[in-house]
Amino acid sequence: MSQFRKGQRIEVYRKSDDESWEPYMNTYIGCHGIVTDPDTVINDPDAVIEVSLDGHGTHRLPQDCLRPVP
Amino acid sequence: MAHALCPVSESLRLLETALAGNGLRFPRARRIVEDLQLLIRDVASSRAGGEHLETIDSLLVELRDFAHAPSIDELAAALSRSLLDHRETFVSHIETQNCAEGVCKNLVPAPCQMTCPAGIDIPSYVNLIAMGRDAEAIELIRRDNPFPWVCGLVCTRPCELMCVRGRIDQPVSIKFLKAFSSEKALSDRSYRNPPKAPDTGRRVAVIGAGPAGLTAAYYLALKGYHVRVIESLPVAGGMTMVGIPRYRLPREVIDLEVGMLQELGVDFHFNTRFGSLVTMDSLKEEGFEAFLFAIGAHSSYTLGIPGEETLQGVHSAVDFLRRVALGDHRTPGKNVIVIGGGNVAIDAARTAVRLGADNVTLAYRRTRHEMPADAEEVEQAEQEGVHLSFLTVPVEIEGDNDRVSALKCLRAKMVKRDGSDRLSPVPVEGSEFFIEADAIIAAIGQQIEKECLTLITDLQWSRRNTIVARKVTMETSVPGVFAAGDAVTGPATVVEAIGGGKRAAQAIDRYFEGIPQPTLPPVPRRRARTEWLDIPAASRMTLRRPEMPLLSTERRRITFQQVELGYSENTTREEARRCLRCDICLRCGTCVRVCRDQMGIDALQLGYFDFDNPGPTDFRITEERCVLCGACAANCPNDAIRMEDRGNERILSLCGTILNRQPLIRCQSCDAVIGPARYLDFVQEKTRSVSRSHHDTDVRCNACVRKDAAHSKADNIALR
Ligand SMILES: Cc1cc2nc3c(=O)[nH]c(=O)nc-3n(C[C@H](O)[C@H](O)[C@H](O)COP(=O)(O)OP(=O)(O)OC[C@H]3O[C@@H](n4cnc5c(N)ncnc54)[C@H](O)[C@@H]3O)c2cc1C
Ligand code: SF4
Repeated sequence: MSQFRKGQRIEVYRKSDDESWEPYMNTYIGCHGIVTDPDTVINDPDAVIEVSLDGHGTHRLPQDCLRPVP
Repeated sequence: MAHALCPVSESLRLLETALAGNGLRFPRARRIVEDLQLLIRDVASSRAGGEHLETIDSLLVELRDFAHAPSIDELAAALSRSLLDHRETFVSHIETQNCAEGVCKNLVPAPCQMTCPAGIDIPSYVNLIAMGRDAEAIELIRRDNPFPWVCGLVCTRPCELMCVRGRIDQPVSIKFLKAFSSEKALSDRSYRNPPKAPDTGRRVAVIGAGPAGLTAAYYLALKGYHVRVIESLPVAGGMTMVGIPRYRLPREVIDLEVGMLQELGVDFHFNTRFGSLVTMDSLKEEGFEAFLFAIGAHSSYTLGIPGEETLQGVHSAVDFLRRVALGDHRTPGKNVIVIGGGNVAIDAARTAVRLGADNVTLAYRRTRHEMPADAEEVEQAEQEGVHLSFLTVPVEIEGDNDRVSALKCLRAKMVKRDGSDRLSPVPVEGSEFFIEADAIIAAIGQQIEKECLTLITDLQWSRRNTIVARKVTMETSVPGVFAAGDAVTGPATVVEAIGGGKRAAQAIDRYFEGIPQPTLPPVPRRRARTEWLDIPAASRMTLRRPEMPLLSTERRRITFQQVELGYSENTTREEARRCLRCDICLRCGTCVRVCRDQMGIDALQLGYFDFDNPGPTDFRITEERCVLCGACAANCPNDAIRMEDRGNERILSLCGTILNRQPLIRCQSCDAVIGPARYLDFVQEKTRSVSRSHHDTDVRCNACVRKDAAHSKADNIALR
């Protein structure tokens, strides 16, 4: 799993296995976006991080569904 | 702009017109129309569920009871007809989340607005600020966020990361513009509350006076609910008051904006802790029917190292900052170590400097590159003398006579673990070193204090110890109980808390009205369609994002005065003019393609249209190449690119950026416009064999040429 930084471009590439994933989030799979707040304090791979998805708003998503876009 | 009509957006327009007019004199009728507007907006923005149409139908039946009021009767009849005739279209909006007519997608807000967790209509208010209309800008912001001044100073501004201008040079300085305007409107006494809806007679209890609770309280009070805010501290503001230090956010800012809620009648009970003095049962007995828990995340993670529990001089950052905010300005020590690398750590370190510590060291396990704190805040901390010690892993707190004397640390190195490209800090064996200290402040994260809610046994908690709530509506597992802010997200940001508070208020209102809740997050609402301002291409390209002027470093080291001094009026207005008005131009690229592929001209270099791979942009190039044929404007689906004649010029502009302006040639006989020379050259080039050149001395329009030809023909016939 990658470490995400503020301003980094990401893709929601799959459904997350995390309990915080809600069904409506399935519509975000395939969306590209930017990390806007990567877990403000503890660099925790388990934290939900704030991402803004192009055309789909800003959400806190678990990190296992995200990958960096080169 | 010619659109196919979409019955859903048409119905929405009818409702909006009715609400803006004064034909809805009966409060109940107005309420029904508002509910219908909410539900049809859900349909238009693809967030409606299965029950929406049924409820719309029954609300329409209710509305028809007002048949004696002609305007209401007409409205109900028009809506019922639309629903009957276009049922399939409504259903397809809900089921396929698609507007077949392609109209509803034009409601898509600008990327900055989409990004804002509170959904503020950023381009509209930025444009109002550019025009100097601060009071209107503030009124517009407060429709989505009741705290423009607080956010103008401390928002983490995700909008700026998505700002399209950033693909050209730097994002528009959205946050600071908001701060300027709020200050100006407050100082002019033009910062006012909107009118309240009639009293509903129903009571809502909000637990926690942080941004989430206060936002919900504001929107519920505006809707006519009785709102009581229960707060354990003696002050309102939550972490904005007792976390964020005064040099970033002066107390007056919070007090003035919270004062606006008091003016609306929100009832504050301070020094009142939910779970001990007050419980759900006691509130229910008083007639409260809905509850919002917005209790934040105020307990800290501990370091888990020897000495932490036993020695004096070890603090958690949030406890330390709370004490300082509530007036305890004693210095924590002469040699202070703050452990952590986030914004809270930086705030604690900078506060320790201001309280007179000689040496403040921030110990962080990773490198500067991984630091989650805002780069600007880190830089300001370093300017104030905070020393950053990277790759530093605390292992033990050493003491002398029960007091902290030093922090024992190990050096770390960053290593990739198997199966992960994440670098993790791994302590290097035998690398111990000591940093002298008489105070240690741990800033490694906060969590929710859940004890106050243990009596609500049906309330579900996540494995992260946050309250489980549907993010779309903030409903918890207990009917009538909602939750928002850090208590749901875990430690997050002010603007996310505001967004959650607003969604909770909307859901609480629907709960009372008994109408269905949405299934998808809200699509932010366009609040205005402000006309754009003209700006030459060269200015649009060359205006630069201004630097924020700062208080002198000397004063920053000894006082809590605000560090960021704010933009001047001139700077603010100019900065606002850098905005590209992405609410109007949807960056579909049609203009670029038409110009390049169909006209073969390629005069539009607008590389910023592409989100993933932005190319070069230069608005100035258009003037060199464009022939003013108007093909781009004719094909723009949203009227963003326009060609018009003004005086003696033909002007092509994109959302106000003047891309090209050329003098017009007029007919020497009738003075009609023939076109700009460049366009005539272009046409002549294409139709060389048949057209006349405008370089001839005799320049006349086709009508005059035809008329003259007809006259001379007639003369010839007469002569014959
Ligand atoms: C030091 C620090 C700096 C920060 N800086 C920024 C920043 O620059 N920008 C940014 O966007 N965010 C920042 N944040 C985060 C931001 O402040 C929070 O995300 C935000 O305040 C959360 O709002 P909230 O309403 O959910 O909770 P809070 O603001 O935490 O408010 C919760 C309120 O509930 C009260 N409460 C708790 N339990 C009870 C109870 N049992 N009974 C009654 N009342 C109760 C608390 O006293 C508190 O007033 C910072 C946080 C900290 C700690
Ligand atoms: S340029 Fe203006 S409209 Fe576009 S994203 Fe930035 S602030 Fe918003």
